[in-house]
Amino acid sequence: MSLLVEPFASPFMARALAVALLLGVVGGVVSVFVVLRRLAFVSDTLTHTVFPGVVVGFLVAGTNGIVWGALAFAVLSVVLLTVLSTHARITEDASLAILLTGFFSVGVILVSRRPSYTADLTAFLFGRILTVDMRQIVVTAILGAVALLTLAALRKELVFRAFDPAGAAARGYPVVALDLALNLVVALVVVAAVRAVGTVLVIALLVVPGAAARLLSDRLAAIVVLAAAIGALGGWLGLAASYQASIEHGLRLASGATVVLALVALYGVAAAVGTVRSSARRRGRVTP
Amino acid sequence: MSLLSDDYTRRALLEVLLVGALCGIVGVHVVLRRLSFFTMAMTHATFPGVVLAAIVGIDLLLGSGLFGIVVVLGVTWLSSRSRSDSSAAVGVVLSAGFALGVALLSAHAGFTRDLSAYLVGSVLTVQPSDLVKTAIVLVVVLAVLASVGKELVFGAFDRGGLVALGYPARRLDLLLLLLVELAVVSSVPAVGTILAVALVVAPAATARLWCDRIGPMTAVAVGLGMASGVLGVLVSERAEVAAGAAIVLVACAFFAGSALLAPHTLTARAPVPEEAR
Repeated sequence: MSLLVEPFASPFMARALAVALLLGVVGGVVSVFVVLRRLAFVSDTLTHTVFPGVVVGFLVAGTNGIVWGALAFAVLSVVLLTVLSTHARITEDASLAILLTGFFSVGVILVSRRPSYTADLTAFLFGRILTVDMRQIVVTAILGAVALLTLAALRKELVFRAFDPAGAAARGYPVVALDLALNLVVALVVVAAVRAVGTVLVIALLVVPGAAARLLSDRLAAIVVLAAAIGALGGWLGLAASYQASIEHGLRLASGATVVLALVALYGVAAAVGTVRSSARRRGRVTP
Repeated sequence: MSLLSDDYTRRALLEVLLVGALCGIVGVHVVLRRLSFFTMAMTHATFPGVVLAAIVGIDLLLGSGLFGIVVVLGVTWLSSRSRSDSSAAVGVVLSAGFALGVALLSAHAGFTRDLSAYLVGSVLTVQPSDLVKTAIVLVVVLAVLASVGKELVFGAFDRGGLVALGYPARRLDLLLLLLVELAVVSSVPAVGTILAVALVVAPAATARLWCDRIGPMTAVAVGLGMASGVLGVLVSERAEVAAGAAIVLVACAFFAGSALLAPHTLTARAPVPEEAR
């Protein structure tokens, strides 16, 4: 057990843990809706389109500008996404792919003008969870709270729209506005996570916990709780593993990537548990 | 053209011409079958293959190609399970692949420099051997499409019909996924793993805006792919920006311009698509 507690004695690791737990819980809850609505590709697009915002924010106002730049580009790309998805001739997935790579290229081009090109690119893409400060934790908490409150306020409408879009439209719910709201919530999580885990690995937080929880339960409330727990657990285990590997065994493991690998391992566990349970149910007897 | 006097610029231009043609051809099938997200996952999940190949010291194309096959099988297996739909499965595989690649690279020395070369490409450092490999892949893809191109198009539009006529539909699907993987791996030196999907999807989607028939659509896609490559390299030389990103931006600009100008878009907008409900 000390393996899981001891690494967080130093203040920088404790701060990293706080951010990882926050992001795990918020990402976990949001990921349930991402999986229900099959928004995995939309989320992936948002993580990439926020990237130029991160760069612009940094160039204009230093590290404190990152969140604002990211927020501005998140809103812009959510609006573009919603507009593009009404375009008939090009399928949604193709236009998403083009939007994603186009925005991302703008970010790469802006970074490539800087003398410290490669180091900057790596920091923007993969984040630096070990260097977060108190102010960043507060910003993450506020953004996460806004995302969760929005979901809580709209949960009935969002679930209705997820399971029966035609019925929701017929009952007079503003479906496009609901889609916009959910996309904005996803974007908020991306913005909150951007400095800690970077733009590229946020997608794991936004898909894996929800997909794993979905394998374990059929009830929405249970899935939400499970997903939040899986997200937080993945953050904790990943940080601890990365610390132990780097300090004790001399194997440097990037902390953000290790958190993601921990999440994927939890998904594997959930898949195994789900398979055993459903085959036991099918055969009507308990199998090992 | 004083630009062409440099060896490395000449090689870069030749590479982007080859990659542009390759991606244009494969991209038509990706767009017709709505495989963009899958291609995206392939590009990300190929990343650990590239890293592993570089660390172990085997050929980049071979290493990432083998890894790509594992990824294809993983996605098909995960999405065949009852509860997870394919988009979540692709998302899981995508993040797993990418994180694995980053973790592997971080455990290895020289983290940042190599990483950015794999992520966003560095076309100006293309070696003659890369050119030969890309050319071979292009020939292979052309040969495969010459022999089963008709069946692949048939499968894209009417999979049930293909099965009913006794064609091995599953094997054909798998073959196409392997072609996509080949195209993705070949474009890594030019545009990197994150942006490879753009060269596959953007020219073909742009061509789709102008054409209704497969033949002309393929020709336009190939032309656009090659033109994006050449213009991107030239722009990046002039403005001193990253070449891979410049190539992708040119390809996206073609798409944006066509979406505004193409004659079809206005008439096709009238019926509301299913996704927009």
